[in-house]
Amino acid sequence: MRYEIRVDGLMSETLTKAFPELDHVVMSGQTVLFGPVVDEAHLYGLLARCQSLGLRVLEMRRIPE
Amino acid sequence: MSERGDNSPGPTAADVDPLGDPFLRTCFAVPVPPATFLRRRRLVEHLDQAPATPLTMVNGCAGAGKTLLVADWAAHLDRPVAWLTAGATDQAPGVFWAYLLEALRACGAHEIRDVGCPAEAGTVDHGLLARLAARLNARDRPVTVVLDEYDRVSAPEIADQLGFVLHHAGRGMRLVLVTRTEPTLPLHRYRADGTLTEIRDAELAFTPEEAATLLELHGLRLGDDAARALVERTRGWAAGLRLCALAARQSSDPETYLKEFEAGQSTIADFLLAEVLKRQPAPTQDLLLRVSVLDRFCPDLANALAGRRDAEPILAELHRANAFVEHLGHSWYRLHPLFAEILAAHLRVRFPSLETELHRRAAQWLRHTGPLPETLAHGAAAGDWPFTARTLVDDLAIGQFFTGLRSGDLGELFSRMPPETTGPEADLVRAARELSDGDPGHALPHLERARRELARAGSGGAAARLGLALLDTLAARMTGCPDRAERAARTAGELLRDLPAELPRKHPELAALLQTHLGAARLWAGRFEDAGTALRAAAAGSDGATALSREDSLSLLALIDCLTGWPTRAERRVLAALADAERFSLAEPAGSGLGHLVLAAVALDRDELGEARALLDRATAARLSPWDPVTAAALVIVRARLQLARNEARAALETAESAVPAAVASPWAEAHIALVVSAAHLAEGRPEPAVKVLRDAVGQDAACTVAAARAHLAAGDPGAALDLLDALPAGQRVGPAVTVRALLVRAEATGRQGDHATARRLVTRALLDARNERLRRPFQETGPWLRRLLDTDTFPRLPARPGPRSGNEPEPGHPPALVVDRLSDRELDVLQRLAQMMTTEEIAADLFVSVNTVKTHLKSVYRKLGVNRRNEAVHRARELRLL
Repeated sequence: MRYEIRVDGLMSETLTKAFPELDHVVMSGQTVLFGPVVDEAHLYGLLARCQSLGLRVLEMRRIPE
Repeated sequence: MSERGDNSPGPTAADVDPLGDPFLRTCFAVPVPPATFLRRRRLVEHLDQAPATPLTMVNGCAGAGKTLLVADWAAHLDRPVAWLTAGATDQAPGVFWAYLLEALRACGAHEIRDVGCPAEAGTVDHGLLARLAARLNARDRPVTVVLDEYDRVSAPEIADQLGFVLHHAGRGMRLVLVTRTEPTLPLHRYRADGTLTEIRDAELAFTPEEAATLLELHGLRLGDDAARALVERTRGWAAGLRLCALAARQSSDPETYLKEFEAGQSTIADFLLAEVLKRQPAPTQDLLLRVSVLDRFCPDLANALAGRRDAEPILAELHRANAFVEHLGHSWYRLHPLFAEILAAHLRVRFPSLETELHRRAAQWLRHTGPLPETLAHGAAAGDWPFTARTLVDDLAIGQFFTGLRSGDLGELFSRMPPETTGPEADLVRAARELSDGDPGHALPHLERARRELARAGSGGAAARLGLALLDTLAARMTGCPDRAERAARTAGELLRDLPAELPRKHPELAALLQTHLGAARLWAGRFEDAGTALRAAAAGSDGATALSREDSLSLLALIDCLTGWPTRAERRVLAALADAERFSLAEPAGSGLGHLVLAAVALDRDELGEARALLDRATAARLSPWDPVTAAALVIVRARLQLARNEARAALETAESAVPAAVASPWAEAHIALVVSAAHLAEGRPEPAVKVLRDAVGQDAACTVAAARAHLAAGDPGAALDLLDALPAGQRVGPAVTVRALLVRAEATGRQGDHATARRLVTRALLDARNERLRRPFQETGPWLRRLLDTDTFPRLPARPGPRSGNEPEPGHPPALVVDRLSDRELDVLQRLAQMMTTEEIAADLFVSVNTVKTHLKSVYRKLGVNRRNEAVHRARELRLL
């Protein structure tokens, strides 16, 4: 599965390193993290990681392969 | 660091946690708000309504100020508060409840002292939770329980269990959950009932006035408009405001900095933390980045990671300035959870390869001072497996693979150890994992390799040798090698004498495991006396670490009772073991299900076949395969005997053929299987093979001798039967299950030889001996001769048997009950009043008879029901559907 997570604000290069398994792209004041997600546990883990880094998740969606 | 204590039940000192780790006591400590903490009255007042509702939930994002709000509120409460930082504990239900119970004890809730404590990580017994709720319910003042970081409690069953306790504790408990995520409790129901106090993100957000006051505490003054703008940009987020204040304080012109503060498009925490970090002096930056790999740290540990000496003043200053660092008490600190994550990301960017090295240093430092689990976790994170395995083995903690709250954790941790790790300790850990999975075949090569490596190393390595001896003993038990178990246990005993005394004291499970496995191996060899000695030693403990061994050894002792013909004693022992297991929430049936097998054997002797079958099913439901030959043999024997009792002789013969894999044969297992085979031949009318199959066991085993005599009798040779019985050694301490059978064979043999008076006398004795044990099976086994005799004569009566229970189909081909004594109407009247808890005097008054008459009725009720006490009589009468 592939997912993209849209986060409010621009993440610094440093902070994106907290998601080594995902690529990121910055657009209009938001950061989009995207990449392969292994399973449910991984997905919820990513959400929890966003929360513990103080990020506001605006959108999270599965993207077609 | 304080002393680690043992886990003795009873009042524990506040400085010993359930796992004996003083370090983790920090999770019972109410966090201390820093000097710059702002008490916000509106939130405190909202929390003050909490006592009116059983559940309070404070939920908000990371850094919203939840923990400090509740900590400050709790510190000013005039009621006891049990605080538990749930995220700091392991995630398994058993561990969670062990900690929560400890938190309650630590805050002075003494009424829960005898509730018990989980001894296994994975489970908590429902009875324990019910006891806890009942004790709390009886309190006159509620205890407030705060669970901080509840979002890190992931096991779904914990939420159900909490809900259960909360509901049944009534007004005795007030639960406050501090969490980032909605708990899986049925919140809608609490909301609908109005039994939930909720404080959420929106309410936690700072108002402009509060923000201005907070900044004043940091020595910064801000106008109304600027404050409003700041709150708008940070959305009133506490962590954001704190970081702003810090960044501003370190800039040359704080006022202007705050007015112009603009996180721009950046995510606030990320931007501000980088801002604040880069303004710190280099040593402080370095220290902060390095400690981000630790959950908690003290100055000394921080120094070890940073290679410095001045961590103490730096940490104290950071805490005073309300930056990043929280004080846990006892000079232990932790990073603010939000900043820890971001700092860890910074560490990876600045020093990409340092993380592993930091874990290694932390492990090295903790090894000498800290708790074992933390040391192991850092060792594993550093990938230093030889070190990690050695730490475990040198601490004599290898027994924790088989018992206690840590077994699951350890298995999980070491499952990541790569196959190329060498060293005797690594091999011991691998062997322990295989053995705990019940696979001695795969464990043996690892054990041999560890043995060779230790031999090559020459002297030293006492702890590793002891670990090897323990695992050897267990492997020997599982493979049925009594001699090997003896040798290993002897080695272990010598090593234990040479070790410093505090290590074995710290791990009571080690000696208990050793003695249990040794006892089981001796039992397999048929040396019941010696087995009893070892097993009684193993059963002597009383704490959680030895709970599993205790149940195991008590079940084995009960099996010995059963094999030597003492069913009631066996039953009492198993029931004691099960009660103890319940105190410690052991998985049911814990261990191997041997206890239930013994109960099934007892039920068989009492001819309660439905009960026996249910117990056998429960014993086999526990595991797919019995894990040691003792249990495997017991299973075969009980199953075959049940089939015999149900007149399925052919099936019993097939069951008796089942192989029990073991290195050496076991005399009692062979003898008891021969017994079944012999009885099956008799049942199918073949006395010759019935005699023959017992030929080897005659003289070795009293039960077999008696059975052989019965077979001779069936073959029409009462003389041979009597000769065999006469040759029975008088000194053997066999119990009524054997002696009653012997009496009946002797009675029938003398009867056949024409001495009817003696036969009657012997049958009378058998009936009297059987009464207290409620033995009925031996009479069923004798066949028509006895029935004819009983029909023609008056004999003492056997106690009645439970009637058929609902759900049990009648046993096929089951002969009608032998001797059942009906209660008279008057006796039933007395019994009914007994069940209503009336005293003898009350019953007498109620029935208009004298007290002595009631006592006479009671005596005959006891006699007919085969009991000795009131509560037994009522219990038995309920079984029999007499009430």
